[in-house]
Amino acid sequence: MAPFPAVLVVDDHDGFRAFARTMLEAAGFTVTEAASGAEAAATARIIRPQLVLLDIQLPDFDGFEVARRLAAGVQRPVIVLTSTREASDYGGLITSSPAAGFLPKDELTGAALHGFLAAGRAERPA
Amino acid sequence: MSRRRRAALIVAALAALAAVTGQIVVTYVPGPPQPLIGTISQSLVGLSFLAAGIAAWLRWPASRLGLLFTIAGYLWLLPNLGHLPYALPFTIGNLVASVYGAALAHLALAWPTGRLRSRFEVGVVAAEYAWTIGQSFVSMFFWNPHTNCGPGCPANLLMIDGSRSAENVLGVISIPVGLALTVTVLALIVRHWQTAQGWTRRAMVPLLWIAPAICALSAVQTVAENTSLRLFAGATAGNILYGYLPLILLAGPALFVASTLLARTARGAVGTAIVDLEPGAPPGQLRDALARALGDSTLQLAFRQPDGPGYADTTGRPVDPARPEPGRIVTPLPGPAGAAPAEAVLVHEEGLEHEPQLIRLTAAAAGLALEHARLQAEVQAQLEQVRASRARIVEAGDEARRRIERDLHDGAQQRLVTLSLALGMARSQVAGSDPGLAALLEGATKEAREAIAELRELARGIHPAVLTETGLAGAVQALVERSPVLTTVGAVPAGRYPAPIEATAYFVVCEALANVAKHAPGATAQVAIRQPAGRIVVEITDDGPGGARPGAGSGLRGLADRVASVGGTLRVESAVGSGTRLQAEIPCP
Repeated sequence: MAPFPAVLVVDDHDGFRAFARTMLEAAGFTVTEAASGAEAAATARIIRPQLVLLDIQLPDFDGFEVARRLAAGVQRPVIVLTSTREASDYGGLITSSPAAGFLPKDELTGAALHGFLAAGRAERPA
Repeated sequence: MSRRRRAALIVAALAALAAVTGQIVVTYVPGPPQPLIGTISQSLVGLSFLAAGIAAWLRWPASRLGLLFTIAGYLWLLPNLGHLPYALPFTIGNLVASVYGAALAHLALAWPTGRLRSRFEVGVVAAEYAWTIGQSFVSMFFWNPHTNCGPGCPANLLMIDGSRSAENVLGVISIPVGLALTVTVLALIVRHWQTAQGWTRRAMVPLLWIAPAICALSAVQTVAENTSLRLFAGATAGNILYGYLPLILLAGPALFVASTLLARTARGAVGTAIVDLEPGAPPGQLRDALARALGDSTLQLAFRQPDGPGYADTTGRPVDPARPEPGRIVTPLPGPAGAAPAEAVLVHEEGLEHEPQLIRLTAAAAGLALEHARLQAEVQAQLEQVRASRARIVEAGDEARRRIERDLHDGAQQRLVTLSLALGMARSQVAGSDPGLAALLEGATKEAREAIAELRELARGIHPAVLTETGLAGAVQALVERSPVLTTVGAVPAGRYPAPIEATAYFVVCEALANVAKHAPGATAQVAIRQPAGRIVVEITDDGPGGARPGAGSGLRGLADRVASVGGTLRVESAVGSGTRLQAEIPCP
């Protein structure tokens, strides 16, 4: 496992971003934040995160669209969609998106994200 | 009692008196014997003309037809004076013996309005009167009654010379003149019919049958009276000529009866036409139906133009009610109270004016039909408005629920999640140092998570996010997966539809599955959504006990209302013992 993997937290809710930063930094991640889809795309180009924690509901365009844009780029980070809703509330949209998976917000832990990262590496060796 | 009505009653009384007197005279006064058939046809023809006259007078108070019928009746009865055994009445009776023929010609030429149509026709009628009296007058100079009926006859006061030869000479002139007048009258009648339009043409038809018969009778009598053969000299010939044949004249009063029946039939036809008119039929159809009923192909139904002072008929032709074309009459239709000038008018052939009852009925019926159509259009428009507002209300309700779900998701749910995460972090931080506090925080985290789950369920019930996010197919799939009922889903159209349609179809499936879970636990269900042309059909069947009644629970009724709000229909088939089948058909462009 690479030390301090870079994670981009995309969420328009300030409180959640703050908690996610505290929690993920404690779990050994380097955390960058973005509050909208556009900001997420721009930031991802600069900091080249290994993982993007992506809220589905964003003020400009939704998480699925952001995921498509990120996946179309060069870095192709591991994308984890998240929401206060459940996966079933999005029908087949999650499985058909380029995201590696879905994590309900209240189940967010550093360990869960490390798991996604490991699975992503195994699937796509650098 | 109107003046006309009183006059008619006086005429009626006089007619009865005349008839009774005539009978007494013919029966009891000594004189030349009168054969029974003669008496019968004399009374029958005369009285029937008088009766027709009175009836016509009452029916068409403004027309001269009643007077003409009455005059014909009197002129027919007047020659009965000749049966009196005195010289003066005898002479007068014989003098006016055939003047009724002129009255008949007058009546026929004035039919059906009571007015003669031209100066020429006035001349023809005048000639008829002049000829029938003049011819009798002149021939009586030479007629010695004693050669016919013997010495019992009274004297002919006008006789100058009893020589038969002079009378015969006049007789030879009488045939061509009499026939010429008869043929002229007949030709004029045919021409009246040919040039007539609308109601007048219709009214002319019975006359067209009757006139030739009476003209033929007149011709036969003219020839018989004026040939040297003296056909009427024999008793049998006399009976035929003056007893049986004059019964043909009963066709005159029959003309009145026929025209009454015609008007009555037309009134019935107008009623039937209105009843048979399709609800909401355009005014053009109303006009056609009335034109057929009245037999007036020229009938026009004209409406006041909304953007101008003028009127236009159903074909768009402008109509000026103040100055109708010659020969045409304008009748305003009764409209809503206080509406002047009339919204609509009938323009018809002037002959119809002589049937005021018929025209009044037609106008009233047309007015009613138009009012009915107007009300129907109004109700239709209101219904359309109500439908649209119902759809808007449902849509607004959906939108409100969608917003509430989103607000819950963005607000309370978000905060609870953050709270839950914070609690989790706090617990892991104190896990080693303070087991008591850690257990407390563990319990708080659990509570928060349950609150999140409950809130999610609540939000989903308010409005399923999956429907907004993915459409009908995904929403139905998610619904079925969460439902306690074992359900198979057939093909669901993957496309997106207008939000109210998606929401309605979704709620049908949702309510149906909830009903199965509630009323038929253990049953399995099938969901199929098809999209035939122009609509979406949602069908949910289960193998439960059946027996659901659409009106019984508020659930199914509310669902039916919901489906109706988007113009769809909901059908429930639920015979006891054979499951339940719920089918919603929703129009979808």
